[in-house]
Amino acid sequence: MQAYAAKLINLIESKAENIAKQWAADVMKHNRTPSYHALPKDMVIEQGVNFYRLFRQMSLAEVPYEEAKTFSWKYAEGFYREKIPLHEAMYALILMRRHLWLYAEFQGTFVTALEKQQAVESLNRTILMFDYVSYQVTEKYQELVIGDIDKKFGVVKTLLMGKLFGGTKNIYKILLMIILLVGSCILTYYYHAIAGTGIIFTHLFYIPIIFASIWWGKKGILVSVFLAALILISHALFLKGMPFLDDIIRAFMFVLIGGVVGWLMDGIKKVEDLYKTFTA
Amino acid sequence: MRAFVTKLVDLTQKNTEEITRQWAKDVKTNQRTYTYHDAPEDKIILQAKDFYLNFQEMFFHEAPYEQAEEIFEKYADDRYKEGIPLHEAMYALILMRRHMWLYAEFQSLFNAEVEHRQAVESLSRTILMFDYIMYIIARKYWKLMKLELLEKQANN
Repeated sequence: MQAYAAKLINLIESKAENIAKQWAADVMKHNRTPSYHALPKDMVIEQGVNFYRLFRQMSLAEVPYEEAKTFSWKYAEGFYREKIPLHEAMYALILMRRHLWLYAEFQGTFVTALEKQQAVESLNRTILMFDYVSYQVTEKYQELVIGDIDKKFGVVKTLLMGKLFGGTKNIYKILLMIILLVGSCILTYYYHAIAGTGIIFTHLFYIPIIFASIWWGKKGILVSVFLAALILISHALFLKGMPFLDDIIRAFMFVLIGGVVGWLMDGIKKVEDLYKTFTA
Repeated sequence: MRAFVTKLVDLTQKNTEEITRQWAKDVKTNQRTYTYHDAPEDKIILQAKDFYLNFQEMFFHEAPYEQAEEIFEKYADDRYKEGIPLHEAMYALILMRRHMWLYAEFQSLFNAEVEHRQAVESLSRTILMFDYIMYIIARKYWKLMKLELLEKQANN
């Protein structure tokens, strides 16, 4: 430990709790840190004590920047969880440093000319440490914001960024859709023209309908309309004499489901845009 | 008294060109200001000169905090639009302050015993100003992030 900093470090360590209490009292009523006003006092004091004890750890550490991370990350995570805005968390740090210095001045730590020289060096050391911490806290906060969005919109991301459905390349989607639609046409022809029945095979049509709506939003309704037209025309051609009502209801349901899912997916697409904005 | 406190700022004012060049060199290679590495040097030098000029104006103002709000919200706005992440923008500021001090040390501005007292005062005042600036910039970034979110929601 450097001699010039030893005096300040010893003072801080021995009085960490006192300084932290003064800081907590300040931060819990300061007009630039309103979000701290309602926090539990013990929690705030604990963060203060941790910060002040960090000094010695940093002084002993070979790489002080790395040593600071333990505190910075815990500090950022703790206050992010409490929904403290970043600028307030920053200002609270500034107040921590200020209280440390005020305490040292109040105790008459640096009075003589020699001590004044030590003061300059100690001040520089304190600032350097604070610089590390403030940088790490800001970085961690941004990481936490992005992580939070990632977690909340993970499903949306999977759906819309195409990981589940063959990538973002539209060509795969179109190819798969063509295969599904050709399959639907074959099924319809088989059941209507050959088997002469209108049984529940049409439930399978919901697969292309939902995929189309997920991939293309409201535009995906075209697939629903195509399939609705398919069963109505096929019924008119091959199932003459059989009641039309069931297929009319089915056709209506295709368009309705396709429309609703497409509308919902357009909404989710907007959320995805926001996600991209914050994770860019 | 005022003269002592302003010694560091006065030195910066007289040597802005050199300090900004040293800062630019640092910020373009520092691993904590990655986004600045590809920025045109002339552009960031101009940015730093503006900063120091505004800083001096704020330093001597009767109500520095209010003055800082007026000046540095714009600074935050510009950096945000340039796509500089907040932690890098903050670290670039930290480097600006550090280069002021490094230059003063290099010039042996505070060598004599009596000057150490001046150094403490000068440094304390400078740090206070930077504290205001950092708070204002972080707050503006936070607001801009929220605003962007709201605008996106409104447009959609």
